[in-house]
Amino acid sequence: MLNKQFHRDQFPGLHQEVNGKPLVYLDNAATAQRPQMVLDAINDYYINHNANIHRGVHSLSESATDLYENARKSLAKLLNAPSEKDLIFVRGCTEAVNLVAQTFVRSRVSKGDEILISHLEHHSNIVPWQLLCEQTGAVLKVIPMNDAGELCVDQLDDLLTEKTKFMSVVHVSNALGTINPVKEVVTKAHAKGVPVMLDGAQATPHLKVDVQDLDCDFYTVSGHKMYGPTGSGVLFGKAEHLNAMPPYHGGGEMISKVTFESTVYNAVPAKFEAGTPNIAGGIGLGAAAEFMMSIGMENIEQRDAELRVYAEQALAKVPGLRMLGTAKHKSPVFSFNIEGIHAHDIGTIIDHHGVAVRTGHHCTMPIFEYFGVAGSCRASFAFYNTEQDVDILVESLLKAIEMFK
Amino acid sequence: MTDLSKLYKQTILEHNRNPRNYGRPDHWTHHSEGLNAICGDLVHVYLTIEGDVISAINYDGESCAISMASASMMTEFIKGRAVDDALSKFELFCQLMAKGSDIQRIDALEDVNNLITVKKFPSRIKSATLCWHAMAAAIKGQPTATTE
Repeated sequence: MLNKQFHRDQFPGLHQEVNGKPLVYLDNAATAQRPQMVLDAINDYYINHNANIHRGVHSLSESATDLYENARKSLAKLLNAPSEKDLIFVRGCTEAVNLVAQTFVRSRVSKGDEILISHLEHHSNIVPWQLLCEQTGAVLKVIPMNDAGELCVDQLDDLLTEKTKFMSVVHVSNALGTINPVKEVVTKAHAKGVPVMLDGAQATPHLKVDVQDLDCDFYTVSGHKMYGPTGSGVLFGKAEHLNAMPPYHGGGEMISKVTFESTVYNAVPAKFEAGTPNIAGGIGLGAAAEFMMSIGMENIEQRDAELRVYAEQALAKVPGLRMLGTAKHKSPVFSFNIEGIHAHDIGTIIDHHGVAVRTGHHCTMPIFEYFGVAGSCRASFAFYNTEQDVDILVESLLKAIEMFK
Repeated sequence: MTDLSKLYKQTILEHNRNPRNYGRPDHWTHHSEGLNAICGDLVHVYLTIEGDVISAINYDGESCAISMASASMMTEFIKGRAVDDALSKFELFCQLMAKGSDIQRIDALEDVNNLITVKKFPSRIKSATLCWHAMAAAIKGQPTATTE
């Protein structure tokens, strides 16, 4: 059960003043605040268990290894992965996409083959594929979106051809909040024999994600978007793929035997985790997963829906406000412009009232090209935000409008 | 009056409402495009240089009020100056706006000093300097400019 005030109080970062006003933090799609439980887990590792993992025989190394591997188990539980061995710790979704592009897809494509993404992608799910296309001569194809910012799923059957070798699609859009029908997308791709990766950066903070139910081949998780540390994340991959893929980086931990003639690689997931990892980050991310499960993802989904409806109605009353992205299924992310005021000016003015939003193109330039604007103001909510936050946002927008009159 | 009110009310909004030398002219001899990739600010600066004098300077683009007002003020200030003078004023403007410096005024910059409040909003300094970078780049024959 989500206890609004109790769970909000778990986030020390929310309880501060900015520019002399109580902070209204609405930049959660950029990075979320972190609960005390995550901060404590990181501190506990550094203070009480600080050692390198997977190698020492001493007690601290063993307990550090246990904490790290237990974190992997927590994340497997959150995603309902068949085994924690199917999860690779990475720095974040960007690294996960690059890893899959270079170790899974690269050997499967040659000149003229096609890789399918969507119009809603973050740059980090565009650029790695452009690099791969330059390396291989493959061609990048894009599933279009409609005026509401929804994926044109009806065009998918035509876009999936015998040339399509891989598809990578965002689960929830960071710029517009659109929740894509990813299960349907995966089913259609699999019907044509095309493996699918889902970019879950913006999904795991908001939705119950079940990788077995989705049947996706890969799923990416960004730690800092889901109340965990920056520089942490996991890549889920089906075991059959991970076992067959070559390593991404060479180094320590990913080997089982090295001579100057050759190297025998370690088993999955160690094969993909070269070098001393972000141990504290992994442990903190595990704590974030436990925190979210303790609240219950269905409770978070319900609170999201309440905030979304309240904010939609409140923002609709702001004169001259144009909402970008009006999908039927969306998370509480609001991308908008106000007539006659540039997004950066709005950002500066409302920051003065303690309201933190993102302005610009949100690393999704093709989306804004579609709407014919350079960028937007984006207010993105988390379950710990309140109706009062919405009210203060709206009041500060009205003040900005007044100032520009 | 708060810093925010000062920033927007006194100078910026006046220039934003009544931009000077705005719009793409029919003819120019030098042009550069200033782009802040991170914020998406875009400013085009068009110069007509006759001999060594900037006889006309115009701008257009899509960016915030600070960026547009700074460009408007810059065109008023630069028009009619010799190329070398314009470049030295560009250097002075960069010194005036340098993040962390405590310079509050450079007399040679005259009314351009009115932009000084922008310095209290460090994340917005690049908005104010973009058009100046584009102006200097145009003189130097560089087609694009950034504040990086």
